Amino acid sequence: MAFAPKRPQKEINYEEVRIYTEEELHNYTEEELKNFKIKHDIPALEDLEKGPWPSFVADAKREALHRKKLAEGRTMVDKDVVDDLLGQLELSFNDGETHWKHGGIVGVFGYGGGVIGRYSDVPEKFPSVAHFHTLRVNQPASKFYKTGFLRALCDLWEYRGSGVFNMHGSTGDIILLGTTTEQLEPIFYDLTHELDQDLGGSGSNLRTPSCCIGKARCEFACIDTQDLCYELTMHYQDELHRPAFPYKFKIKVDGCPNGCVASIARSDFSLIGTWRDNIRIDQEAVKAYIAGEIKPNAGAHSGRDWGKFDIQKEVIDLCPTGCMAMEDGELKINNAECNRCMHCINVMPRALRPGTDTGVSILVGAKAPILEGAQLATLAVPFMKAEPPYDNIKELLEKIWEWWMEEGKNRERLGELIQRKGLPRFLEVIGVPAAPQMVKMPRTNPYIFWKEEDVPGGWKRDIKDYRMRHKR
Amino acid sequence: MEELKKIILEFAETSKKTKFYFKDLEKAVQAKMPDAKSREIKKAATELVNEGKLIYFSTGSTTMYGLKGRGITEDQ
Amino acid sequence: MALSQERLGKYNPEKPTENRITDIGPRHFWDFFPPVIQKNYGKWLYHDILEPGVLVHVSETGDKVYTVRCGGPRFMTAEYIREICDIADKYCDGYVRFTTRNNIEFMVTDYEKVEALKKDLLSRKYVSGSYKFPIGGTGAGVTNIVHTQGYIHCHTPATDASSMVKAIMDELMDHFTGMTLPAHVRISIACCLNMCGAVHCSDIALLGIHRKPPIIDHEVIDSVCEIPLAIAACPVGAISPDKTPEGKKTVKIKEDRCMFCGNCYTMCPALPLSDKLGDGVAVLAGGKISNRISEPKFSKVVVPWLPNNFPRFPEVVEVVKKILNAYASDARKYERIGDWAERIGWEKFFEKCDLPFTEHLIDDYRLAYDTYRTSTQFKFTEAAWEVSRAAGGIK
Repeated sequence: MAFAPKRPQKEINYEEVRIYTEEELHNYTEEELKNFKIKHDIPALEDLEKGPWPSFVADAKREALHRKKLAEGRTMVDKDVVDDLLGQLELSFNDGETHWKHGGIVGVFGYGGGVIGRYSDVPEKFPSVAHFHTLRVNQPASKFYKTGFLRALCDLWEYRGSGVFNMHGSTGDIILLGTTTEQLEPIFYDLTHELDQDLGGSGSNLRTPSCCIGKARCEFACIDTQDLCYELTMHYQDELHRPAFPYKFKIKVDGCPNGCVASIARSDFSLIGTWRDNIRIDQEAVKAYIAGEIKPNAGAHSGRDWGKFDIQKEVIDLCPTGCMAMEDGELKINNAECNRCMHCINVMPRALRPGTDTGVSILVGAKAPILEGAQLATLAVPFMKAEPPYDNIKELLEKIWEWWMEEGKNRERLGELIQRKGLPRFLEVIGVPAAPQMVKMPRTNPYIFWKEEDVPGGWKRDIKDYRMRHKR
Repeated sequence: MEELKKIILEFAETSKKTKFYFKDLEKAVQAKMPDAKSREIKKAATELVNEGKLIYFSTGSTTMYGLKGRGITEDQ
Repeated sequence: MALSQERLGKYNPEKPTENRITDIGPRHFWDFFPPVIQKNYGKWLYHDILEPGVLVHVSETGDKVYTVRCGGPRFMTAEYIREICDIADKYCDGYVRFTTRNNIEFMVTDYEKVEALKKDLLSRKYVSGSYKFPIGGTGAGVTNIVHTQGYIHCHTPATDASSMVKAIMDELMDHFTGMTLPAHVRISIACCLNMCGAVHCSDIALLGIHRKPPIIDHEVIDSVCEIPLAIAACPVGAISPDKTPEGKKTVKIKEDRCMFCGNCYTMCPALPLSDKLGDGVAVLAGGKISNRISEPKFSKVVVPWLPNNFPRFPEVVEVVKKILNAYASDARKYERIGDWAERIGWEKFFEKCDLPFTEHLIDDYRLAYDTYRTSTQFKFTEAAWEVSRAAGGIK
């Protein structure tokens, strides 16, 4: 099977698009780097060059040296930009406060997202980072790359920006850290024309959707996470680039309930792969696990001696629903009682596999604490098939957006709106009946908001009628 | 569409605030054209952005619209 | 075609819409998959962790792909990415992948290549001695920390992130390159309550917090902010309109109501609240995202505040190690930190981790919605099918 893009993709041949020559890319020696000092005193940061973990300071310093040794005119923003970035960081350590100011009106023409304005509040000390805007570049689904693309992006960003990245931002984008207002449009032009690549979301937009590695390299994936993520991203480009939502809206796609992209905690619209038939069992492999021939949990615990694998203790007794048992040397699963928590499958991946009638569970409204406190996503749809072109998912999503845009206050996330209006109202909006799956327990208070039409005879009553039966 | 754009511009020029949420634009339009749909209002606002009359203003987390040249500008 | 080199490239500021390309979205993923991934898409049978940081995935076609996982700094330069590309070109036919947790994955199909690749990766060090590509981050250990910008590039942080990550991971290196814990441990850092890193469901979360109410810049507040927006931004209604003695519009703040969320500052630059002595780090523990065994859960605040002791945060590192050590010696196999804490009880958690419990750790903010289901742990009954049918998912 193969997946096709919505339009032909431009093949990036680095040799054809490159800006810098080989000599320019290798323009300093190890010896020079050893003796290199940036133009500011940074004792605290230099302390972070020590220790085994990759040092971002050591990395930044080589970028600083590399830039310094490029000829005049070979970068469109100051060559000192990394020096000043580190200098300002050191100052922040001393002051115990950041030195970045709010954003504002910077962006590329016609887009309301993808660029975040950033200005230094000490520009006289660090003039190269006086204007230091961020661009968010929409990552390819699950973050596989060809080196030609990455090298071209490096040249573009070193030439027209700071050469400093985040791989990747929390939402999933490639983050380009720091350029001037002047360079935003030229960067966007080359990104779209040469690299065939668009910006991601920021502000009150659909944020860049993201997904786990899925079926590309994971045996647990129940759905085509990349395809679904790509389809939603492409279908909602307008929502992603031109803000008209009350606040941010995040979509994340997890292939199974293990939840590697954390959609259940981090997205307004969380799609989690699942199945509705039976867990597939290979009884021979179960026996092999019991006999100790295969390491449990794919060897995840092999650094310590946990004793011999005990299927009763490690799988059956830990099953949250108690739906498993060994009978006559065979593992039995009562699938109707299974809640698909993945534990048994994680422990014995060679013996157990998710079912084949797969789809997604849809949960809504997760968010970080601002404003009303952190929320995990709430189960809205227990199961949906997830097959191209995913019209059922899009229809549901659009119903949610319509309601949120109508009823949501400014800066109110979907999860907060659901809290404010109540889950029953949300279910009415998306047109599904209430189900016990949506709650941990039924309500404990009896304050039910009955509607007039729920009650025989309605609410209009005559006081005189009442008084005929009851004296004042 | 032209009518929608006119109402939006009028609102942007006369409102006490210089930065508005999309919802503010929506309310302003719907006060005069109760049947106007969000989608149409968004299209009109987008056209005004493309014509260089409206601009986006973003704090990074929240985006608002503004009238080009009015209120806080790029040259802080 | 080539990347442009003129100052403004091929962009014409006079005609911004000329030849403009928009709404093309990201690069399509398929083209970026290595051939073995394309060929075996959806056919993977199982995987094994051969050693910390080295995975093998086996396909029903008989194909295997070996993955070597390295910890990377999320903050990285073009120089570093080019080095990643050199490695990927040398061993992986020019393909590489990044994970959700800022790790870098190199994939090869030939086991013979794994040793050479590993050797190469570990031989690459900075002049100051730190590894460029430490191998690990698999199984029951501590994988890379997800984090936010901090002082590097953010306007609202209460602490720094990249430095804290470096300080912690330097000390936890053995847990990154080993798999000796009862289950995996996910550590996350967010520099303020906005939590753009959404760390609220991590085994251990480190969170920058402010402790002083905003200062009001009366001089400029009316010209740099929309005052009504700043007032509306306060979740506890502590901000109200006011006038200066000179009659200028400003706001006043009920300081005893402030919960230091910084939301007003997000909306109004004239209300800064960062402060060297006020700001610091809260430690949260026991959250998780996976639905495995127990439901996903929030992290709970276990230390309300520690100082921002740059650049190595010794107090924070010590607390993280205390929690990890107590957990490592006491929890059962497969038990996450939160599950362990719930089994033994939180009072035992504080005892075993040697952490003081204070009134700050008792919730006095609002709590709602705790009866909603926040997991995929449910059973299918007829009612669920009705939902699915109504939603349009099944027939």
